[in-house]
Amino acid sequence: MAELYDPQFGAASNALFNTALGAYLLAMVGYFFRMAFTKVAEGQTTATRAGRRIGVASTVIASVGVLAHTASIVTRGLAAERVPWANMYEYSSALSLLAVAIGLVVLQRRLGLGHLMGFVLALATTTMAIALMLYTDPGPIVPSLQSYWIRIHVTSAMVASAIFMVAFAATALYLVKDTAERRVAERSGQGFTGSTVGAASVTPGAEVAAGEGAALAEGEAGAAPGAGGDQPDDRLDGDAVEGAGYASPLEQRRVLTAWPFGVVPAAVVGPFTLVVYQAPVAAAVSAFVAAAIGLLSRWSVPHLPDAKTLDTLAYRTIAFGFPIWTFAIIAGAVWAEEAWGRFWGWDPKETGSFFTWVLYAAYLHARSTSGWRGRRAAWIGVVSFAALMVTYYVVNLFVVGLHSYAGV
Amino acid sequence: MTQTAPSREPTRAPERGVALPEVPGPGETARRAWRWLRRMSTAIWLLFALAAASVVATFVPQEPVIPTTVESWRSGIEGPGTEVSAVFDALGLYDVYGSPWFAAIVVLLFVSLTGCLVPRWRAFLRDARRPPPRGRGLTALRQSTTLRTSLPPEEGLAVVEASLARRRYRRRRLAQEETASGLAQVAAERGRWREGGSLLFHASFYLLLVGIVVAQGFGFVGQVNVAEGQAFTDTRISYDVADPGRFFDLEDHAGFAVRLDAFDLAFFEDGTPERFVSEVTVLEDGEEVRVGEAVAVNERLEHAGMNLYQMRFGMAPRVEVRAGDSDLFADQVMLGQGEGNTWTGVAKVSAADPQIALEILLVPDFARDADGEPISAGPAPGDPRLFANLWVGDLGLERPVPATQFDRDGGQRVDAVELGEGESAALLGGALEVAFPELTMWSGFQVAHQPGRAILLAAGVLVLVGLVPSLYAYRRRIWAEARPVEGGSEVTVAGVALQRVEAFDDAYAELVEELADALDAQHPTSGEPGEEERQG
Repeated sequence: MAELYDPQFGAASNALFNTALGAYLLAMVGYFFRMAFTKVAEGQTTATRAGRRIGVASTVIASVGVLAHTASIVTRGLAAERVPWANMYEYSSALSLLAVAIGLVVLQRRLGLGHLMGFVLALATTTMAIALMLYTDPGPIVPSLQSYWIRIHVTSAMVASAIFMVAFAATALYLVKDTAERRVAERSGQGFTGSTVGAASVTPGAEVAAGEGAALAEGEAGAAPGAGGDQPDDRLDGDAVEGAGYASPLEQRRVLTAWPFGVVPAAVVGPFTLVVYQAPVAAAVSAFVAAAIGLLSRWSVPHLPDAKTLDTLAYRTIAFGFPIWTFAIIAGAVWAEEAWGRFWGWDPKETGSFFTWVLYAAYLHARSTSGWRGRRAAWIGVVSFAALMVTYYVVNLFVVGLHSYAGV
Repeated sequence: MTQTAPSREPTRAPERGVALPEVPGPGETARRAWRWLRRMSTAIWLLFALAAASVVATFVPQEPVIPTTVESWRSGIEGPGTEVSAVFDALGLYDVYGSPWFAAIVVLLFVSLTGCLVPRWRAFLRDARRPPPRGRGLTALRQSTTLRTSLPPEEGLAVVEASLARRRYRRRRLAQEETASGLAQVAAERGRWREGGSLLFHASFYLLLVGIVVAQGFGFVGQVNVAEGQAFTDTRISYDVADPGRFFDLEDHAGFAVRLDAFDLAFFEDGTPERFVSEVTVLEDGEEVRVGEAVAVNERLEHAGMNLYQMRFGMAPRVEVRAGDSDLFADQVMLGQGEGNTWTGVAKVSAADPQIALEILLVPDFARDADGEPISAGPAPGDPRLFANLWVGDLGLERPVPATQFDRDGGQRVDAVELGEGESAALLGGALEVAFPELTMWSGFQVAHQPGRAILLAAGVLVLVGLVPSLYAYRRRIWAEARPVEGGSEVTVAGVALQRVEAFDDAYAELVEELADALDAQHPTSGEPGEEERQG
């Protein structure tokens, strides 16, 4: 009989995991404080000196967390002598590492949207807390998982999920910000046409006609109606909405009623945890955390990038994750064919990943369809992420299928 | 009259008599349905329906996947109860993917897809042959720059063209008389693969459908359990479970035989299987054609168009039952997994009169726990112990019942026996002798003929090949015109992006910088509309 795992590496991995979790929590608090020390006026956000210092400290702490987390996953792999994402604890851990890394590198560094990091960290730490509830020692894996396909199929599913997680933060915050911008515009009585801001809801034809119609006319005349391909679905120029949202940034917080931001997330997450884990304490804690995050999202509204930026970010991240998710499903089908003798068997996990795919596909279509882009599309994005979570947690823990061995 | 006029206006047809609500004719209805199906909105709703159907199928057990669970839902042992179960049955929720309404969603989606794709393909193929369109009013565009160079117009444009060629733009040179401005022009375009990729992505779903139909129609999936030393033949009748496609006939079986020579099993310390490998020999017409082939999970064996997959395994003790000199039973009894590493099953001795059944519990590695109860020390065979209850009577063995069942009411339990490997014991005061000469294993295979795999793989590849450019290729157009001036020319460059405008702004700035160097222009004059008036 083979040795199950190396206990020293196993212990080191766990210690590093806890270090990372601690660092993320600290950094998350830091990012929110940084927001508090940022002045918002006339569409400009200026950090105070304290704010800048807290920001730098948070970045450093989060980066240290990423290093510890990476080391945790590497040592876990060394302990078990296999890919360190073969059960739910390991997968959740690697998933949250990817989400934080994407947040730091893409959101904060490349796009300068550091204010979103608090929320990305909130999602990542929640995932890690759930991972702790599903903890198992680094054991060996059953024969059906002993294949190089685990690296291809599981890794791509994980990368896509991490991207979708970041996308969800952007989508949800877009909805909050868009609501705030609309209400402010309505209350200040500005000629508000219903196509803000939200930006995405500006009809493409009108936009093109404004500036570039002359040059485009010749080529575009033949484009078929309903063809999603030619529509400018992800532009960032703010000309269309200048001034609309910035009447008074703090006004954006005041126009949002507070209680739904606490009650709705708690009402969704609490029962979800109760049903999946049958742990009342965990359910109460998670409901409380969800309420806190929800209230923080309302509180952060003035500091968030404008709705248009958030919408574009959500679209880009989903558009980036979608082909990877597609690839994960195809790779899974190839593997299923190799290992089980059928490429698709409507196993619950297969069905779950399929409806998640269909919903994200619906989001992408909605995003390029007039009448759907903007808030409606964003709601589809939220539902898609919920579907992803159901596919991951509920299907793994609840429904018996061929993928069940990958369970806990 | 004047007062009644407004009220009558909506009906609008006083001269024709009584106004009836407008009922569209069959042709008009079809046209409306077609228009409805071609709308993107409809496609999105159909995608929702597809997702909703899969959600249902995830949480309601599906008969083709786990029939046993469906059975216990129907009988009310599990699930929401018999009444709800009856409703589920009526709605076809136990077989969502085989239900007519699911088929309807898929058909509608494909119709909607076709309705969207046909005009788009047509437009794409037409446009693909077209050169990049000529530009007008370049200086009015958001991105527009005029560069002053000492080169003559034609050479200036050649420089621009070279830069655009490096950026993989499709280019077109227009002579003076072809443009609105009367100046020679370079028109360039890239990113057509955005539309092309999207079309390819969507079209590959037809291929996927073809692959699925081929795989379903011409394929075969069978399952068979075989004990060590035994063989099975590739004929319909020898499979325990057979699921042939509509067009896979009895004659399509190749008729080869597969013998399980040995089954190799190893466990980890925690009792999870480390590996299980079937060692098999393939025989054709009694002749060994492939000897010592391994079949394991993730390692199939292909022979004569059939793929052999390792699925299940179990213990199969050899059991012998004798009455005096006559051998009543000598076979390997394939046992199913019981509780706590034990294996259970039934040896049916139908040759005896009255009928005899041995209810078997096998403990692979016999030990006793703290309370002295027999348990198995581990999952691997160590000190195997066979416990059997002897049933005698009219046990209904001639009736077709599952292998592990018999009619207990027709007989009674008359004796019990405990045997180690290689032992035998006398029962019923010496009337019967039961022996357990050795412990062997059985292996469960899935045998499948899977045509259409190449089509499915091609469809999968095309989905990705199409998807990536449909999301990441960005359409851009750039034009350049050269106006001859004193001592050289003025080259006006302008560009338009249909997606990711801000990324284009950067790329455009880079292009202009490169052109300014190449044209040896002093100060690129920037491109806000209106600024060109200063130069004018």
